[in-house]
Amino acid sequence: MRQPVKDKGGPPSVAVPETAAPGARAARRPATGAWPAKRADLGIKLAGVLVVLAIMELCSRLGVLPRDWFPPVTSMYAELFRLIVEQPLWVEIGRTLRAWAVGIGLAALLAVPCGVLLGSIPLAYRMARIVIEFCRPIPSVALIPLAVLVYGTGLEMKVFLITFATFWPLLFQTIYGVQDVDPVARDTARAYGLGPSARFWVITIPSAAPYIATGLRIAAAIGLVLGVTSELVGGAPGLGRAIAVAQSAGNVTLMYALIITTGLLGLTLNSAFAAVERKALRWHPAQRQEVAR
Amino acid sequence: MLEVSRLRKVYGADPQAAPAIDDVTFSVADREFVCILGSSGCGKSTLLRCLSGLIPATSGEILLHGDPVLAPPKDMAFVFQDYSRSLLPWMTVARNVSFPLRYKGVSKEDAQKATEEALEAVGLSGRQKRYPWQLSGGMQQRVAIARALAYRPKILLMDEPFASLDAQTRFDLEDLLLDIWRRFDVTVLFITHDIDEAVYLADRVLVLEAPAKVALDVDIPLPRPRDQLKTKQLPEFAELRTRLFSAIQREPAAL
Repeated sequence: MRQPVKDKGGPPSVAVPETAAPGARAARRPATGAWPAKRADLGIKLAGVLVVLAIMELCSRLGVLPRDWFPPVTSMYAELFRLIVEQPLWVEIGRTLRAWAVGIGLAALLAVPCGVLLGSIPLAYRMARIVIEFCRPIPSVALIPLAVLVYGTGLEMKVFLITFATFWPLLFQTIYGVQDVDPVARDTARAYGLGPSARFWVITIPSAAPYIATGLRIAAAIGLVLGVTSELVGGAPGLGRAIAVAQSAGNVTLMYALIITTGLLGLTLNSAFAAVERKALRWHPAQRQEVAR
Repeated sequence: MLEVSRLRKVYGADPQAAPAIDDVTFSVADREFVCILGSSGCGKSTLLRCLSGLIPATSGEILLHGDPVLAPPKDMAFVFQDYSRSLLPWMTVARNVSFPLRYKGVSKEDAQKATEEALEAVGLSGRQKRYPWQLSGGMQQRVAIARALAYRPKILLMDEPFASLDAQTRFDLEDLLLDIWRRFDVTVLFITHDIDEAVYLADRVLVLEAPAKVALDVDIPLPRPRDQLKTKQLPEFAELRTRLFSAIQREPAAL
């Protein structure tokens, strides 16, 4: 489980003179030279991708890999393009994403208050400990038969599984976040007469926010895995079932196109969450890019 | 204005355990600048935390204007040593200064005015929209001082506020503090382990001995306004610092 890096605080080891340039000014200096460097970096990365794709294409065309099970990359992408232009792909993506969004939303609504409670009341944490340790290791996919039995093969089943799976990382991140409030910050608030509820909103929640944001990013990835798995195994409509249908129809190229779609979807969701995190938590040491120390 | 009598603090439940504060009695007059001087581990910080009402004393009494201090009083402000952790990184400089005012019942306009005034007093006007971590250490501690000023306290408690700054910044902030002390009519109780700093700033220096007990109460009759060069060249300054130095030096020998 990834956690945001915690700033240990304390004075910087090297004394900063009073006239030190504030962050923004210090940032502009490397930034002027950074654009070409960033571009070159992106170019190198893309070149890497192209090399891999070209090798795959060659292997398939030259028959190094059996063409029946491994069609050329170009035809996979041609198929993907066809799917994008013709509506069905968007319908499938919509089905998967709807369960994903509802599931994670529900998990957040449940996990964040629970985490706040467990994180701030040590007795509650100790009481809940064993129950949590028992429930958490259950692989969520093991619950698919149960979920199908109870909820059928529709949206509800998927939402249940996604909620269950993403509840845990969100719960733990929230607990860690709430427990990790800086004692000096808390003392400061207390010395300035903030009562318990004011301290909760002014100190605890902002301190825990980076942890919760990380929890959401983890949950986004897990939620997609669970969504696609439950469609594949449980037969709920969505990208997963479309892959299963393509398989039973023997349409290997279509299968690959759909698999690529799920990969791209995961990548997009992760980047979106990371971008929101960067913007909203600009103040957090792990996100500070402009400060020169 | 502040009276401390027979203060004792023992951490934990066992009353027989070694006390962090043994038996401290002193008083601070209105608008006085008092430094509490002691080597590390002598219970200075515990004493200040008790005085601010952050932690309860085991026995003894703390009276502020005759009222016992049981929780952080509304006319007391605290400046911590660890400014980078005392300032909240998700708030701008202005928010860091103004957020306590809302809970003190200050109106929005008054809070804004007090914030601007306080930031100007510490020489940071124009940096309201910055974040504390974009500023140097000295500027961060200025923000913390501004926050204390905007709170309009009668008494300012400072826990080694300049201990982690470099020498030049420390001298600047010492002079800034003296200036503020005069202009804002506050009483200051300042904890430090630096003898020169104590003599330079204070009207009176209390030497603390471990476990915290007032070993010496010295008046500092140096003329004001003080000057980093001229004051420190006075023969009286040297005399006072020698006296305090030998008082502090005596303790390790006793251990």
